[in-house]
Amino acid sequence: MRRYSLLVTSLAFLLTLLVAGWDQRLRPKPIPLTPTLTGQVEYCLTCHSDLAQISNSHPVQTFGCVLCHGGEALALDANLAHSTMRGGSNPSDFSVVQASCGGANCHSGTPESYNNHIQRATTSIQATYAGAIAIIRYTFGVQPDLTASLGIFSVRAPGSTSGITSLSAFDPFQETNPFVKAFGQNCLTCHLSAQPLPGSVYFRFTGCAACHTPTQSADRSNTQQLQSSQVHKLTTAISYTQCDTCHNRGNYDLRTITFAPRLDLSNDRLHDYYQPIAQFTSCEWMLDCVDCHTRTEAMGDDSLYSSKLDIQYIQCKTCHGTPTELPQPRTLTDPNDLVFRLALLNPVVDLKLGDTILVTQKDEPLWNTRVLPDGTYQLVGKASGQVFPFKPVMGSACTQNGTDQTSAYCHTCHSMTR
Amino acid sequence: MRPNFFHHLHPPTIPARQARLRYTLAAGGLAVFLGLVLLVTGLLEMFYYIPTPDHASASIQTITFLVPYGGLVRNLHFWSAQFLVIVSLVHLFRVILTGAYAPPRRFNYLLGMGLLVLAVLLDFTGYVLRWDEGIHWALVTGTNLVRSIPLLGAPLYTLVVGGAQPGPATLIRFYGWHIFGLTLAAGILVAWHIFRVRRDGGIAVPPPAFRIDHSRITRFELVRREVLAMLLAATALLILSTFAAAPLAPSINASPLVETARAPWFFLWVQQMLKLGNPFFWGVVVPLAVLLLLSLIPYIFPTVTKPDLGRWFPRGNTLARIVALIVLTGILVLTVLALIPVS
Repeated sequence: MRRYSLLVTSLAFLLTLLVAGWDQRLRPKPIPLTPTLTGQVEYCLTCHSDLAQISNSHPVQTFGCVLCHGGEALALDANLAHSTMRGGSNPSDFSVVQASCGGANCHSGTPESYNNHIQRATTSIQATYAGAIAIIRYTFGVQPDLTASLGIFSVRAPGSTSGITSLSAFDPFQETNPFVKAFGQNCLTCHLSAQPLPGSVYFRFTGCAACHTPTQSADRSNTQQLQSSQVHKLTTAISYTQCDTCHNRGNYDLRTITFAPRLDLSNDRLHDYYQPIAQFTSCEWMLDCVDCHTRTEAMGDDSLYSSKLDIQYIQCKTCHGTPTELPQPRTLTDPNDLVFRLALLNPVVDLKLGDTILVTQKDEPLWNTRVLPDGTYQLVGKASGQVFPFKPVMGSACTQNGTDQTSAYCHTCHSMTR
Repeated sequence: MRPNFFHHLHPPTIPARQARLRYTLAAGGLAVFLGLVLLVTGLLEMFYYIPTPDHASASIQTITFLVPYGGLVRNLHFWSAQFLVIVSLVHLFRVILTGAYAPPRRFNYLLGMGLLVLAVLLDFTGYVLRWDEGIHWALVTGTNLVRSIPLLGAPLYTLVVGGAQPGPATLIRFYGWHIFGLTLAAGILVAWHIFRVRRDGGIAVPPPAFRIDHSRITRFELVRREVLAMLLAATALLILSTFAAAPLAPSINASPLVETARAPWFFLWVQQMLKLGNPFFWGVVVPLAVLLLLSLIPYIFPTVTKPDLGRWFPRGNTLARIVALIVLTGILVLTVLALIPVS
């Protein structure tokens, strides 16, 4: 044995060398990517080459992965590579959105308000939840009026035109009223920074991705949901099912300060829509929410508000006009018109110079509408791609007073029956 | 057989008792072998490592993940460095527990202590070269300890750090010390240490008149045993380096120091003592006192008489052994305490 000890040990050493070499061969071959925006090589695609490109406006060859997600660009060990990712799998969470999506070339700090998304979204009432907080505090006598002073996080809006230029952070533990305290503990589940309620119908991400990353199938009858953290998509074609992760999912009971989930939801869109007592018209359940509600209504306009009603302004007359007025048209003459950007991001319509679309009372373009030569109109669903022809009220048998636009008026004649 | 170059590095014959594994534990020889592995793997790493704060961590990730066999080379470097500290300590305690430091080997004992200090400093400077979140705490704490020294603290801090706070100057200084200053000093001390082993009569054994076993082994047998030990060590290192990766962390950024950060394992006992209070006393004075106490063992405690040399736990140096074991136990206990997570 002693005679062969050197030989045996040498063989063992050689065998170990072979194992070490084999182990190297088993490792995945690194796949480099040098995005043009950073010029810094990254190797995320070594493991993530099967991930779909997030959107046409964020080509992976241009953006890469690290610019938005953070992470260790060179690491091929999953734990290390992911250790410095911003917001886990969701870099658009508002706690990190400025680092992920911000910058003068991207979605913040640009003078053009149409590109100042982060400032608008983080001051929007969907992010601040200031309206709900103000109402609850007012209802239980904690504040004297309905003017918002607290939000989910403290935020400033120097350019705010509403009279409210900043909000302090709402801290339920500082509240003395037990109902407000309970509200803080039980009801803060629907703002854009809140983790969703448990359950597949509530599943969404936070921040920008809450709306722009589809986690719910656009087709309710398709029971297969897209609820994986691997959903790698950003879209402006937002289905109503995505909005429903917060809206229309139940009621907050003011007596118990708890959330009572709806138990009557079905896969049938007509019955899935709105609360049982609500009246609604056909366009309100056949269209998607984003087909009518504009970008400033949903994402804010850089002002802080106390109520959803302060920012939500789309009415029936926006598209249909009144018995005495037609809806406002705009003929596209400027090639730099925002509508071309919006239509490019979600190419369900082919807009050209010379086309006439409708605009809102605040001159926001309804870029998915078209005024047809015969005086009628059409709308193309942003998420569905469906074409919906419609007519103006003017010239019809409608005798409605044009200034009365709340649901109690139009729904009297035009409500759907379930 | 005609002796080759490597045979000629050894004496023609040595007493068989000097070369018994259960006496030497092969610790000194393994330390030399690990030093050679460190030299070769370190040279290879130098082709890719970039000693600037912006690129250091990224270049190590490049070595680890992208350079063919780079991860293996880095793991070999890492594990060799850890084992170098361990076998150096084993060697030290073998020498103390066998009383082998008795005259005329007192000076070589000091050279050995110097080498142990150099091994630890090389390990620490190499650790800092990662320049990632994993070393951030140790870098800040270690350099602040230097600053805590009265009078000398500020100039010493500037000397080590190269500025008011750790930055590019710090990294290049640690790099310079790691690849050149400390390595050169260690190379010289190793040569001197080995020279003194032969000058002092080889590994400690009783004089011929007191020996029971007079058998000797040739340089051929000695080299054969050394090669065998090296092959075994290399095999173990390769297996470990293939399946156990050296630690890595994200590069140092603006984020605050994390509470879970720890000193490198060989300084955990110092980290634990720092919790006791005054950083200068517990972080500088006490470790230096421990080092001084261990260094003075051959000079201040009774030593072994020559007939008792060459075996474990000889008569004559009981007090030194007890002191050394108390120190070792203290260090081990403090290390274990530092590893227990704070609830």
